[in-house]
Amino acid sequence: MCSRFPEHVAQIAGPYRRHACQALVAAVVGAILAGCERETRGFEHSLDAARIAPADDASTNARVAHDERNAYALAAGKRLWTWYNCAGCHAHGGGASGPALTNNVWVYGSDPAALYRSIADGRPNGMPAFGTRLSNDQIWQLSAYVRSLAAIAPQDAAPNRDDAFLTRTPESFMDPQPALGPVPSSSGSSR
Amino acid sequence: MNGIHDVRLPAGPQAAALAELWTIMLWVCAIVFVLAMAALAMSMRQSARNRHEGSSPVAIDASRESALRRWIGGGVAASAVLLFGLLFASFRADRALAGLPLEGAVHIDLTAHQFWWEARYEPHEPTLTFATANELHVPVGQPVLMRLRSDDVIHSFWVPSLAGKKDLIPGRETTLAYRADRAGVYRGQCAEFCGYQHAHMALVVIAEPPDEYARWLETQRRPAVAPSSADERRGRDLVEQTSCAMCHAINGTLARGQRAPDLTHLATRRSLGAGVLPNTFAGRIDWINDPHRFKPGVNMPPLTAAPADLAAISAYLGALR
Amino acid sequence: MSSRGRDRGRVGRGKGRSFDLNIALAKQASRAVVTACAMGLLLFAAMPVSSGTPTPGSSGEAAAHWPSPGRDAALTRFTPLADISPSNVASLKLMFTHSTGILRGHEAAPIVVGDTMYIVTPYPHRVEALDLTHAGRPRWRFDPQPDAYAQGVACCDVVNRGLAYANGKVFFNTLDNQTIALDAANGRELWRFRSGDVKAGETRTMAPLVVDGRVFIGNSGSAFGVRGWLAALDESNGKELWRAYSTGPDAEVLIGADYRPFYAKDRGTDLGVTSWPRDGWKIGGGTVWGWISYDPKLDLIYYGTSHPAPLNAAQRPGANRYTSGIFARDARTGMARWFYQLSPHDEFGYGAVNENVLVELEWGGRSRAVLLHPDQNGYVYVIDRASGEVLSAEAFAPINTSTGVDLSTGELRYAAAKQQRLGTVVRDICPGAAGAKSWQPSAYSPRTKLLYIPHQNLCQDQQVMQTSYIVGTPYLGSISQMKPGPGGARGRVTAWDPVAATARWTIDEDLPVWSGALATAGDIVFYGTLDGWFKAVDARDGRRLWQYRTSSGIVGQPVSYRGTDGKQYVAVLAGVGGWAGAVVAGELDVRDGSAAGGFAGALPDLKYRTVRGGMLYVFALP
Repeated sequence: MCSRFPEHVAQIAGPYRRHACQALVAAVVGAILAGCERETRGFEHSLDAARIAPADDASTNARVAHDERNAYALAAGKRLWTWYNCAGCHAHGGGASGPALTNNVWVYGSDPAALYRSIADGRPNGMPAFGTRLSNDQIWQLSAYVRSLAAIAPQDAAPNRDDAFLTRTPESFMDPQPALGPVPSSSGSSR
Repeated sequence: MNGIHDVRLPAGPQAAALAELWTIMLWVCAIVFVLAMAALAMSMRQSARNRHEGSSPVAIDASRESALRRWIGGGVAASAVLLFGLLFASFRADRALAGLPLEGAVHIDLTAHQFWWEARYEPHEPTLTFATANELHVPVGQPVLMRLRSDDVIHSFWVPSLAGKKDLIPGRETTLAYRADRAGVYRGQCAEFCGYQHAHMALVVIAEPPDEYARWLETQRRPAVAPSSADERRGRDLVEQTSCAMCHAINGTLARGQRAPDLTHLATRRSLGAGVLPNTFAGRIDWINDPHRFKPGVNMPPLTAAPADLAAISAYLGALR
Repeated sequence: MSSRGRDRGRVGRGKGRSFDLNIALAKQASRAVVTACAMGLLLFAAMPVSSGTPTPGSSGEAAAHWPSPGRDAALTRFTPLADISPSNVASLKLMFTHSTGILRGHEAAPIVVGDTMYIVTPYPHRVEALDLTHAGRPRWRFDPQPDAYAQGVACCDVVNRGLAYANGKVFFNTLDNQTIALDAANGRELWRFRSGDVKAGETRTMAPLVVDGRVFIGNSGSAFGVRGWLAALDESNGKELWRAYSTGPDAEVLIGADYRPFYAKDRGTDLGVTSWPRDGWKIGGGTVWGWISYDPKLDLIYYGTSHPAPLNAAQRPGANRYTSGIFARDARTGMARWFYQLSPHDEFGYGAVNENVLVELEWGGRSRAVLLHPDQNGYVYVIDRASGEVLSAEAFAPINTSTGVDLSTGELRYAAAKQQRLGTVVRDICPGAAGAKSWQPSAYSPRTKLLYIPHQNLCQDQQVMQTSYIVGTPYLGSISQMKPGPGGARGRVTAWDPVAATARWTIDEDLPVWSGALATAGDIVFYGTLDGWFKAVDARDGRRLWQYRTSSGIVGQPVSYRGTDGKQYVAVLAGVGGWAGAVVAGELDVRDGSAAGGFAGALPDLKYRTVRGGMLYVFALP
């Protein structure tokens, strides 16, 4: 392939055109392969993973670390967010009857194990327990999605469009902290 | 799922109009193809002869020019006539498709999901409406008007013996009307690539005589059959308390999810997973325990439970006539 | 006594001295007799003869009190006290404050009976009795210790809309579905009534109405698919006497032979079942979280039911009775007398829980007993309270979700352009889900004959989608984001003339006016803003006469009473929250426009304008 380099490009590359071509091919292949983890589908998992069992921190962290870099897992987490009415209490991260999840204020912690516990066991101020009603995979996917929503996970694989009405910046562009800008100048109130 | 799945075996006016058009196009195009190949062969033989005589293949031979012009002109004219003829046939088929009388139509809201079909009958009538999945019943001789929507990506509804393909596009609503004039089981499938399990997204349309259809309707409108044994009761409790109720609905129980097929009358359906497994006691256990073994990529999570619990759930679901 | 300061007679003045003196003495003597009799009568009248709230217009001792959030069972929120008037309100001074120690939305009205003020805070609902003779020093405190889980299922901040006083007891609700009666003298718990499961999303936020030995309560939770109901409890022991559901079969909705709805559309058998798909009525909403009023002559109570669940209306074809409508029920038996559905098949989450103010109006040449109901859907309804006939329904806010109410059929004519479409975002829906006006109660002045409506001017963009009912989670199927309405002012106070069916004057506010209104006989209207300004305006023309910046946004109900020193006091609780203030009270992230049920889209600047707080403010003339 590199011997059939187009003429006008060959003029630019000069005597090194063969090397340039090989480097380009290597770069393209490398870029494609680097995206593999982002794009794998985790369908064929073992049934053991589906058992609702208390997860120890190490395995949870490993699992969620994988899910945070995997587009399918984050997309699944996003789907479950809507399917299981998480948005009813937490809106799309901004909060409503439940706390906001995007403002970097964590009542019970933001590490994967804490998020797993919050979802599986519930919390005393009104978070329901879903441990008996979701599979382990689903809880991990939701934990990873919450971390991507809060921008405390890598954003390479985070969703960046909504199928529904989008009321905030997409997850892949969220800032980890709310932008504390200057007080808005216009108030318009009658004084 | 088995059923008649053949464009050449239409069972209703929509499919018949399309089958007729298909046949016309097949014959016309076949004949034209044969003639065109014959003309090509002749010209290749002629050019070979010309080469032997030493002249360039594209040299103009004035003596044959007018004959050639007549042949080519005739060919173009014939093609034009045939094309207009096909256009006219297509136009007639379109008019036939649009001209289906719709009085007394059965209204069905069909929503496509990855990777199953949701059907809601009479969606605007609060006392008549109900939901089912992957298996539609329609009365013979009565038109069916379906409103088509998609929940996620583009799918396409195609039951070849009844109608042509119609896409279900998220964010848009469209309609499809057809009529089954002969009783039978007609198979359909998704005809627009929609994801990992696009190939396993089948459905059946069962056309029945009007009295059988009325009986089916009446059954579907009733709430779910109450469990009749301790095992079935345990099954129902598990359905309500574990992951089943998060997505499935069984009318009359605490399961009111709307993300997965309605199971109120699951036992009246022939298959699970949109045609992937037979709806048997063992099939249900296999499917619930690990749907990804049979249909990897489906949105249903596995349910890991004791064999006795899985059997109880399967028994309960098997009783939902 | 209210006669003080007025009518200083003319004893001793005049011409012919000795003759006049005799007449003057006679006048003085007769005046003394009359005064003594009046005092006796007034003392007699002030004693609680029949239990419950005083009827409107009573004077004397009763004028000094404010025993329930609406002041009277007609919910006029009008005080006959007239000391504070446009000529002197500019010198209104802060007399004392009292911090509640809680930092969520304070929607309650301070209750005053005698020399004691009773306040109830948002969750955890501490009740305090304050000694008004000692600048609000607490007499006693009561902590009901409600279930913390209730906080997470309160759709619109962990508010409480007030307590009621009757017969030496105070009655209030808690977020975790309890109704509690305390001895008003010492705060001792007398009884507790429990009904409802927070794990299913049911809560209780409304202020009870106590009349005739009955405590009327209703539940909250339409956002969670909770089936709504109104119940009557025995005032003496908290036992449930009857319960009327808002959906379901007639026997459970307490519809019987006496039921005579005015309009044909509301007539039929078991409409609470047949106007829903299959079992939809069981998770259909229609909760009773707003105000209840009472007409002692007709012995009827009036209240509205909330919107149906889910917000995605395609999942509940049918008119969805008896949600988003007003019930008139027999106060003794609970049997429905009439029902009018304001917003059938409610697609916008309006509901009809707003107050029904009972007034007498000159209508068609005669006096008519009506109720005034400024609804979430943007119309002020004038309804004959005996028959349920809608006499008038005119818009007090910009509306594009409907084009009007057909008075002959009672139908609300919806506008097709703004109706829900699955999978599509419908934009600029006016009013939005918080309505043109939500729970914040209006006040009626019999002097100006105007209804003073505190409300908002917000529209919204919304998309609906299929949703599952999962017990304990919200049952909505909707994403919405609110925005300012036409003109840009997000709040408004409207002085509405119900007979002319038009606004006499309006005041534009930058922020939604989520506080209640108070009208006085001195022709002043008080209200508070979401950024903490407590304002007094002239009731006749809306001119602002006085304002005071409190420590936190005001979402409470101002009240007025006469202190033991004879002065007229005005009191209000400041502490931002409620649905409109949730972005501050709940410390939510406004970068998500759908947070706080869509309010984040309309009020992204609120956290710069106010902070959380919880403080009682009491004002009087110096």
